[in-house]
Amino acid sequence: MVVESGEGVSVVSARVDAALPGGVIVPRDEAELAGVVRDASAPMLVQGNGTKAGMLRPGRAAAVLSTAGMSGITLYSPSELVMRARAGTALAEIEAALAAHGQQMIAEPSHLFGEAQTIGGVVAANVSGPRRISGGAMRDHVLGLRAVNGSGEILNFGGRVLKNVTGLDLTKLLTGSFGTLAVITEVTFKVLPVAGAVGTIVVRVADAQAAVAVMSAGLGSPFSVSGAAYLPGSREVYLRVEDFAESVAYRCGRLAGQFAGAEILGSGESKALWLSIRDCEALPPGEAMWRVSVRPSAGPGVLRDVAFAGVTGFLDWGGGLVWLSGPATHEAHEAVCAAARTGGGVWWLMRGPEALRAVVEVMPPEAPALAALRRQVVAKFDPRGIFNPLKMWAA
Amino acid sequence: MRAMKQLDPKPEVMARRSEIIAGLRRILPERAVIAQAVELKPYETDALTAYRQVPLAVVLPEDEAQVVDVLKFCAAGGVRVIPRGAGTSLCGGALPLADSVVVGLMRMNRILEINYADRYAVVQPGVTNIGITQAVADAGYFYAPDPSSQLACMIGGNVGMNSGGAHCLKYGVTANNLLGLRLVTVAGEVLEIGGAHCDAAGYDWLGLITGSEGQLGILTEVTVRILHAPEGARAMLAGFASNEVAGECVAAIIASGIIPVALEFMDKPAIHACEAFAHAGYPLDAQALLIIEVEGSQDEQADMLGRLREICERFAPVSMRVAQTEAESAAIWKGRKGAFGAVGRISPDYLCMDGVIPTSRLGEVLRRIEEMSAAYDLRVANIFHAGDGNLHPLIMYDANDPASFAKAERFGAEILTLCVEAGGCLTGEHGVGVEKRELMRVQFSESELTQMRAMKDVFDPQWLLNPAKVFPL
Amino acid sequence: MQTNFTPAQLADPEIAVANEILRRCVHCGMCTATCPTFVTLGDELDSPRGRIYLIKDMLESGRDAGAEEALHIDRCLSCLSCVTTCPSGVDYMHLVDHARVHVEKTFNRPLADRLMRAGLAWVLPHPARLRAALLLARPARGLGFLLPGHGMLAKRLRAMLRLAPGAVPRAAPLGRVYQAVGARRARVALLAGCAQQVLAPSINAASIALLNRLGVEVVIPPEAGCCGALVHHMGRHEAALAAARANVAAWMAQVEGEGLDAVLVNTSGCGTVVKDYGFLLRHEDCAAGAAKISSLTQDISEFLMKFYEPVRAAPGLSVAYHAACSLQHGQQVTAQPKTLLRKAGFKVVEPKDAHLCCGSAGTYNLMQPEIASALRRRKLDTLRALGPDVIAAGNIGCLTQLAGDGVPTVHVVELLDWMAGGEKPQALR
Repeated sequence: MVVESGEGVSVVSARVDAALPGGVIVPRDEAELAGVVRDASAPMLVQGNGTKAGMLRPGRAAAVLSTAGMSGITLYSPSELVMRARAGTALAEIEAALAAHGQQMIAEPSHLFGEAQTIGGVVAANVSGPRRISGGAMRDHVLGLRAVNGSGEILNFGGRVLKNVTGLDLTKLLTGSFGTLAVITEVTFKVLPVAGAVGTIVVRVADAQAAVAVMSAGLGSPFSVSGAAYLPGSREVYLRVEDFAESVAYRCGRLAGQFAGAEILGSGESKALWLSIRDCEALPPGEAMWRVSVRPSAGPGVLRDVAFAGVTGFLDWGGGLVWLSGPATHEAHEAVCAAARTGGGVWWLMRGPEALRAVVEVMPPEAPALAALRRQVVAKFDPRGIFNPLKMWAA
Repeated sequence: MRAMKQLDPKPEVMARRSEIIAGLRRILPERAVIAQAVELKPYETDALTAYRQVPLAVVLPEDEAQVVDVLKFCAAGGVRVIPRGAGTSLCGGALPLADSVVVGLMRMNRILEINYADRYAVVQPGVTNIGITQAVADAGYFYAPDPSSQLACMIGGNVGMNSGGAHCLKYGVTANNLLGLRLVTVAGEVLEIGGAHCDAAGYDWLGLITGSEGQLGILTEVTVRILHAPEGARAMLAGFASNEVAGECVAAIIASGIIPVALEFMDKPAIHACEAFAHAGYPLDAQALLIIEVEGSQDEQADMLGRLREICERFAPVSMRVAQTEAESAAIWKGRKGAFGAVGRISPDYLCMDGVIPTSRLGEVLRRIEEMSAAYDLRVANIFHAGDGNLHPLIMYDANDPASFAKAERFGAEILTLCVEAGGCLTGEHGVGVEKRELMRVQFSESELTQMRAMKDVFDPQWLLNPAKVFPL
Repeated sequence: MQTNFTPAQLADPEIAVANEILRRCVHCGMCTATCPTFVTLGDELDSPRGRIYLIKDMLESGRDAGAEEALHIDRCLSCLSCVTTCPSGVDYMHLVDHARVHVEKTFNRPLADRLMRAGLAWVLPHPARLRAALLLARPARGLGFLLPGHGMLAKRLRAMLRLAPGAVPRAAPLGRVYQAVGARRARVALLAGCAQQVLAPSINAASIALLNRLGVEVVIPPEAGCCGALVHHMGRHEAALAAARANVAAWMAQVEGEGLDAVLVNTSGCGTVVKDYGFLLRHEDCAAGAAKISSLTQDISEFLMKFYEPVRAAPGLSVAYHAACSLQHGQQVTAQPKTLLRKAGFKVVEPKDAHLCCGSAGTYNLMQPEIASALRRRKLDTLRALGPDVIAAGNIGCLTQLAGDGVPTVHVVELLDWMAGGEKPQALR
């Protein structure tokens, strides 16, 4: 079905339902999208394929503005370690194109949200996987963005080169802003070669505390550990090394020598293991899911402090990232918030029923001074308040 | 000599000069306010001496509370404020205005916390870049970004400019190595950004503030990630017959899937100037030199160096040498890191450009720069981070000859325009400052600039913080 | 860096030299990081780059020095750490020397300051006067706390009393030829120095004994005296020139007589200046002789590299080597003392921030007691962290500055002499 936009530009609509009288508007290109924004008179939910619609607060809007119609890799220069793709390009397509040249996304974004997620969504949500601790987050690799602000202006920040400090870094501001400031239309990001080999040290430990000690020792070693996770179910710590095969063999040997009873997994097993950690496969199914980021030594405390509310999970990022799932109750949510606060860190409600997401703090509230600045920043990007209102904060 | 247009001083501020100084003296300790003409003079410039302006006063606060007091005082009186660290900016980032108070953070030079278990350090802005590494080196750790001025430059300035360095090919730039900040806004409010954990919730304020060149506030604390050092590192030198061939070799290395920790490029004039300073054994017969560094155990180094040698050999190197000792590696880096200063040996003055280009355009851009050098009749030494395409052409001129400086400025603008046209940007790690302010329109549209200015409006509605920098007037 | 001198100003050869030095500086700021006063005070004005800029402005304007220029130039230790650091090769030493002379000539210092400086210049370079002064000061050593006030004068007097030794060693008259033991392998002149021979005559004694034992004949012409460094660093140009001329004449007489293989200096603060006689006296009649003497001058550690052989078994002592600034920066002599100490069988350890001055710097610890004592504390903390048995340095100023903190301090040459068959240094007995 085709929905007519204000200026008569025909745009493709994927689906229309009663909750979205404005339909799902799927512009075919950036200019069209800018036109839709200029003509918009009511708030819109900004998304790619909507795979993260259940993350943070539920959107309330008459229409969905989707970038799914703007797809395709527009630049890939393997020798310069750079790729550019339109926002609606599926992550799977990007990963396949990179793999064909022996390269990969550095932050190894999770596939937790399914195979349909777009690169725009990955950037807008700053999704990073286990390699975040060594290679950086998604936000660290976004070199440039094109976006349409709330006035319908097309903006281009950053570029395609690996280093760039020209002007204020609005690329970083937009990355992780969940479509609340501008609609990202194209992303340029840094990539790296896939390592020749992967190895994993498996260490069995008594508890999370001991696990963090092992992970800290691994990350505090000279052996470039690129992943450090702990699964309470198996009471196993995993330390990952990625490099040329000879290096991996050497470093795994040195690391394993540090911990009694450590085992070494080869490349094949390692790759499968880290994909499952990346995609949170070890997380028990629950009505709600959270992500907590604390300093690594505080990770075990978070696991301990939420247990009474039926919330369980595992540690990634050397203990600093706690993935949690549990009942979608206020009690469980408050337990997560309190544990994150105690650990001096932050939380995100990643998944849960609308009823819960609509009323709780899905992220820690900002200090008043920062909240005041944030409201003004939003107003400067989106003066009419049409992009994803209330997605991140209730006010 | 300053050709650059500057903001007019506010007459009402200039008229209240002695009152402002007296006010600053009331809120700061003795010897923390500098207001004598003779003593203000050395604060008129930073490492870009082509631009100079004596400020109204300089203050040297010792703690955050004093920074808050100074900013509240200045904001109330509409007084412009110029933050300053070590004064090593190459783009005039710390250039004062006549009606401004320079806030020097050199006395806030304490390391507040080092946490090895969680791998971070909390430091004040006046700690030098290398000071962080020195503080954690005994435990085997280091702070990764390593601008060439790391001996002197301060972490506050590094955050302000989002500094890079030779090793950011592997370890990233400042923005990639920060966890948290404390920032005092012009209104005197202290914002806590991030912490000791990864990825703050909400907007990426850390990302916005990093590289904001003092436009948004004054830093009083920085939390940086520290990393454990590898087992060892070794540098090799490969000399080539031309800039182009060296450029092709760089592309071949990256394409091979090897990412060395550092991949640095020097052309012939730079090789000679640096050799005179560091006695590192640079090949004086080469037209271009690559410094390539690898890390790991002895065997790992040997393995990587072997792979790199194979690639280099495809480009008929005129010389290849691997450092055999720590001292040899240190000398190689001493020459590279002192390169800008070393050019002072062959020319009284230089302008240092910082444009970035896609690495595939390296040979072509260097050839164009050579042509421009001939046309302008000014020598250029090229020293840069080849792995990421970050060029540092040093345009040599004679500051005692005004015509020479004017030419150098035009030459520089032409190089940077070329970088943008080649798909790159104006500045990779030095910042825009005052120097590249007017070139911003080459890279950004008016609506893009407006969007950036809007952020400045939010944080600093009166435009008191480091004005007349970054944005074209 | 741009300069603004008129052609008339540049006709003055001193200004021409200053201009050349200033033009070398690219204002990169590297020097600030390794400057002891910048690290301590955190002010551009107390950094080499800031001083260079102050000096440039003062010389360009042609104005007399004022209190501000004097303050910041006086605070410079002349440790020359900046010279080691500078990638551009800026000759800061000659620039700050020039500026000190300009300050001395054109700035009217407060009376107390003038008296203090005149007194030091009258006493220190003359062993007999210094000896008498120290004997007078002895009874007052413990009474520093009675000196009232926080003023600079009181602080300086307290600093003097702190630095005065508890016992003044017996005077050891020098001034003759000391024969080599066995076959003569070389003939050298030794700078007997001034303050050192009063404060620690053992250093010269050990130097002479060691050299003689190694087959080196040592001559100390009685006409040679203080090198002139103390007055030179106060900007007393004429007094410095007079001292330098006298030494050049005395040593040249030896060069032209029986011949000299080297002029040796065992106080590195003096060595830096003697090595610079060629520049200092370049406009004098004796310029050629001065250049000859400078080219012959070596720190004793440089000279010993070719001759030194230990004979005793390694004593198993850990020696914290403190690099005197005049040696490591002024003369760029860095490896030799450590190499010799290791050869002698000592375990040599070095402190963090070895490039930083201990605060001694000639009369600096007397004139700038606050900065000097902050630097002393910092240096002693880094030295003590090494847990050494002894601190060794090649400069009497440093040894005096670092003494009295529980770790014995000795001259490198005393340790070398001991291991080569000489007496065990007094401080270790």
